[in-house]
Amino acid sequence: MTTPDLDALSATTREYAAFQSRKSGLATALGGLMAIVLVLAALSPNYMGAHVLDRLAIEYLVWVPMLWLGLKWALGRVLYRGLGTVKAAPDSAYERRRWYWILGLALFLLAMSLAALYAFALGFLQPNPSRAAICPPPMWLLLMPLLYLLPMPWLIRGIEEARVFAVLVGQCILWLVPLFLFSFGPSNPANHEWTVTGHLAMTAYLVLIFLIQIWGALAMIRGWKEHRQYLALLRSLPREA
Amino acid sequence: MGKIESNPKAILDLDRTVHEPARLAILTVLASAEEVAFLFLQRVTGLSKGNLSSHTQKLEAAGYLATVKAFQGRIPVTSFRITEDGRVALHAYHQQLRALLPKEGKP
Repeated sequence: MTTPDLDALSATTREYAAFQSRKSGLATALGGLMAIVLVLAALSPNYMGAHVLDRLAIEYLVWVPMLWLGLKWALGRVLYRGLGTVKAAPDSAYERRRWYWILGLALFLLAMSLAALYAFALGFLQPNPSRAAICPPPMWLLLMPLLYLLPMPWLIRGIEEARVFAVLVGQCILWLVPLFLFSFGPSNPANHEWTVTGHLAMTAYLVLIFLIQIWGALAMIRGWKEHRQYLALLRSLPREA
Repeated sequence: MGKIESNPKAILDLDRTVHEPARLAILTVLASAEEVAFLFLQRVTGLSKGNLSSHTQKLEAAGYLATVKAFQGRIPVTSFRITEDGRVALHAYHQQLRALLPKEGKP
């Protein structure tokens, strides 16, 4: 063998190990694409025979984060382990940041669940308790935040993955909360006048959706770049002896 | 050549186990990760299977690396870890080499 460039060897090893510990490459790009598709699917009329933000459409869409976790795992196994497993050296600072993301998402899910329950109790249960017995809201939706949270410590390996998962979960929560609340509400909401708060909430919703689209596009670019970096790393390795 | 002139035997004190280029490359790769698969180590160092096996055996005999054997399904997979002794030896080798080389800007 030729005299090794020790710095290059070290950098290559760290980079390869990073794809098995914190970088997701194409899974990030896929997450960005799914974030965009999730918005378009939820908002597109007549999606699978359903209407805008319809219960049927949302009941399928809330599983998208879990689907992404599965695809991410599969992509990682197929694409980024071609030369065997290389475990990255432990980095306590990075690990701490990863746990901050998990904690942040847990608090967000808890806050949204409590807000939904509070709004339900105050807006629907209190004014019309008899309706609760006849037409209860889909209670299984309250389990979704827990389902989103449970796999995180094991399946979310890096900050970028946590970011993608948080966006997908955040979007699902945006759809789940109205579904939980309005499934119980009046059957013909058109009769109700829009309040200022309602307008503000809808504007915030639209801005958020626009931001998610931009984030999704950027994630796709970032993921694709990471994947190209990985391919360049493989090309830079010496030919097999 | 200040250092070598003042202590010409210093270069002979280099750890020969680490000094060999292939073994230096192996230890450098292992020091950059917690555990490294045989296949990756082979590709990144550019060594043949036989050569790599022989060098890792020497490093293992010196106590600088540990071999980890596992199964992925039915396929046996060999990986390596650098030991604490190996890390110390690699660090000491770098220090010795730096001390032997002329300081920057001096001939």
